Amino acid sequence: MIKKEGSFKYLEIKNISKNFGETFVLKNIHLDVFKGEFLCLLGPSGCGKTTLLRIISGLERQTNGDIVQDGLLISNSPTEKRDFGIVFQSYALFPNLNAKQNIAYGLENKKINKKEIEKRTNNLLRLVGLEKYSDQFPSQLSGGQQQRVALARAMALSPGLLLLDEPLSALDAQVRSKLRNEIKLIQKKLNLTTIMVTHDQTEALSMADRVVVMERGHIAQIGTPFELYKNPITPFVADFIGKMNLLKGKYDKKNCVFYYLNNRFLISQNTEYSFLENCLLGIRPEDIEIIKFRKNIEKEENILKVKIKEITYLGTIFRLTVVLESKLEENIFVDVISNQVISNNLKIGDFIDIKLKKEKIKLFESNL
Amino acid sequence: MYFKKNFNKSFNILLLRILIIFVFILVSFFIIIPLLPLFLKSFSDNKNNFIGLENFINYIQNPSLTQSFINSLKVAITTTFFSVLIGFIYAYALTRTRLPLKKFFNTFSLFSLYIPPLAVAIGLIYIFGKQGLITQGFFGTIPGFDINLYGFNGIIIGEIFYCFPQALIILVSALNLSDQRLYEAAESLKASPLRKFLTITLPNIKYGLMNSFFICFILSFTDFGVPKVVGGNFNVLATDIYKQVVGQQNFAMGATISIYLLVPSILAFLIDKNFQKNEASLISGKSIPFKPRKNLIVDSIMFIFCSLILILVIGVFSSIVLASLVKIWPYDISLSLQNFRFSNVAGNGYEPYFNTVFMSIYTAIFGTIFVFFTAYLVEKFKPLKKIRMLIYFFSTLPIAIPGLVLGLSYILFFNKPSFSVPFLDFQIFNPFSLLYGTMGILVLANIIHFFTVCFISATTTLKQIDKEFEEVSESLKVPFYKTFLRITIPLSLPTILEIGSYYFVNSMITVSAIIFLYPAKIPVSSVSIVNMDDAGDTASAAAMSTLIVLTSLFVRLIYEFTSRNVSKKSSVWINPLET
Repeated sequence: MIKKEGSFKYLEIKNISKNFGETFVLKNIHLDVFKGEFLCLLGPSGCGKTTLLRIISGLERQTNGDIVQDGLLISNSPTEKRDFGIVFQSYALFPNLNAKQNIAYGLENKKINKKEIEKRTNNLLRLVGLEKYSDQFPSQLSGGQQQRVALARAMALSPGLLLLDEPLSALDAQVRSKLRNEIKLIQKKLNLTTIMVTHDQTEALSMADRVVVMERGHIAQIGTPFELYKNPITPFVADFIGKMNLLKGKYDKKNCVFYYLNNRFLISQNTEYSFLENCLLGIRPEDIEIIKFRKNIEKEENILKVKIKEITYLGTIFRLTVVLESKLEENIFVDVISNQVISNNLKIGDFIDIKLKKEKIKLFESNL
Repeated sequence: MYFKKNFNKSFNILLLRILIIFVFILVSFFIIIPLLPLFLKSFSDNKNNFIGLENFINYIQNPSLTQSFINSLKVAITTTFFSVLIGFIYAYALTRTRLPLKKFFNTFSLFSLYIPPLAVAIGLIYIFGKQGLITQGFFGTIPGFDINLYGFNGIIIGEIFYCFPQALIILVSALNLSDQRLYEAAESLKASPLRKFLTITLPNIKYGLMNSFFICFILSFTDFGVPKVVGGNFNVLATDIYKQVVGQQNFAMGATISIYLLVPSILAFLIDKNFQKNEASLISGKSIPFKPRKNLIVDSIMFIFCSLILILVIGVFSSIVLASLVKIWPYDISLSLQNFRFSNVAGNGYEPYFNTVFMSIYTAIFGTIFVFFTAYLVEKFKPLKKIRMLIYFFSTLPIAIPGLVLGLSYILFFNKPSFSVPFLDFQIFNPFSLLYGTMGILVLANIIHFFTVCFISATTTLKQIDKEFEEVSESLKVPFYKTFLRITIPLSLPTILEIGSYYFVNSMITVSAIIFLYPAKIPVSSVSIVNMDDAGDTASAAAMSTLIVLTSLFVRLIYEFTSRNVSKKSSVWINPLET
């Protein structure tokens, strides 16, 4: 785990477990969050990420383990005594209060005079860019605007920790990417420690300083977006962050060779591969090269002769789905820049040669 | 080491726990515990000696009493069948056809909700009784027709009048939940109308259908008003209890018969509850509501059917009003207000009427507060789950407790100034006994008697309010009671008004729960209808019924007006684009 320079552990999650009856939702979660950090809990539905967020907020109680926030043990503190603001997926804006009243809701309960409340509410409205909409009721606001009100309301009491529970998933794509940037800007500006739950990897990668990938109640990997992409430690992470082809085969450790069906692939030497011979070869679609028109192919290594099954246009690239003649049911994905497909006039049914770049190949323990 | 904050229990959670326990104690003492003395009584003689099952054995060995049990069952089964059938056809016409004048039929179908069953029975006397309009052929102008009103026939007609709108309400809301797409899918698969009905319509409303069977069964099995007035020699359990308690002061036998009345009701209740447990909404939020197509034949048949029902309902109501305005039916049919004087009868002038109005106002105010707060505590919070589940169960129970049984158990419970602790020579003061002999006990009986329907409607509304509001408030350090006052109540206002008006109207028309309970110094109008009818002064009974119906309708009008204003005001929260 990397420690960010000049920041200290603001939130420590120690050995947190949660079970409902006999089913485990979270198992021995350890996690440190640094001051001012934007952390994403990422994972498929049911992985326990929302439960973890709710435990941090005190809305849900852990079965075991401790939480320390800013040096204080808060494991058993009631929600109202904890220092955080939260934004829910549904926003949960009070429908009978207008934008301004919603934001002021928490302030009004404190013994602050009216002028001060007014001032702070207006500041928050300005911060989220909604000065003009202060008198509108939630139902009169668009989804994105409602989201901003919810954000402003969560920040009204100047909490030390901001919790976001899938805050963008109810919005359409355009508004979503705009709000991503805005939230990130506000978060950095206020240096506000933030934990966001999401199942959307693009969202996590584009917003977070660090991402916590969760799988079935435990943490699969923690790292910066780039680390996770470059060095996934499990096939699950590899395929969840970006896309990865996974081929099952045998690994000959002594010769650094991987056997897949009748093909052999050379693997870069790596002492970390300590597992048994049955394992998975992983390679990202963009790390596979098409070498249709190159000469002397026989001399090159890591070549597969494949048939194009499908061509999908993804904007700047095409994704080819290719198969081996000896194993038609196993799809291999290859990403190619659009020009190459057009200039080579690739069609479904064509046979091509592909090359798996040796230095990009990863091996994973096979738990299948 | 970190500073431990374990003892940092919040004041709010503590307050919440205390409130939940407090409400639990209240519902226990108002719903469950009063039934205990009733049970005890059924195992004792009138001198409070324990005699085991003797009362029950005496009951079974008495052929005239067992006949009443069979009669009650007959009445309940027949009424349930016809009420649900008529209610279903009427509801189907309102929701699934292009019935002309739909709004009119919709509004007036519920008219009979405002007529006390007692008054329905009195109206029936003026139509089908010995001197009735139909029996005498409209004062001899056409050949008469006697349906033998007094007895089984009269009871059935009266009970159907009483139960049909209840079934209608349930079935209309069940039929309203529909999905046009299912019918379109079926049509594209060439399904016949019958097949569509059997495979889409019926499965969708089976819970509503079952629920309406259960409601009609309990209402007609336990009703007192109709059999009292038109039952003649056809005895049912409810009238038997009345005769035992009021006529013979035999509380032990009254309690025993109450058990016979209570057990089938509770059974029906449990069967229904068990059935409803499996309810899962088949209709998703994305459903497109069913839009009926024009069908001349079906629409006309429905129009004729609904018109007939409405003519009967309005006929009964008009006959009550007419009878109250006529000098001496059928001999001197000139109009007069003399029946509204209530001076020559056992009646106490207008005192019973005003007592009833005040009782209904109190019931509406305190009942609404209590029921809504109970539902709120049960629905919105996490602590003390088992206790909240018990409160929920207790709250749904009163619908299965017949009014007479509730009234009798209240007498037995509330007139005790103290309880003796078993095996110890020790007495505990019963604080609730202070209510005995006051208006308070009538109000309380009404609140509990009609509790279930109000509780369910409050719960349903609270469920629709985002539970994350409470969580947001917690995160904003706002105590729950502030959110309750500022958010929950304004959002629930339409339902709160609805509950208030339901309580008012039902307290106006009810007789069974309070007939044993009303103190001599606080006469109430529904009881005076019974007494006037007993004394043969049917016209005055009709006049009092008219007053009750008009008052209920008036309050309902106020409700409609207010709730329209409320929804106009709140529409900006809900649907701004349309305003």
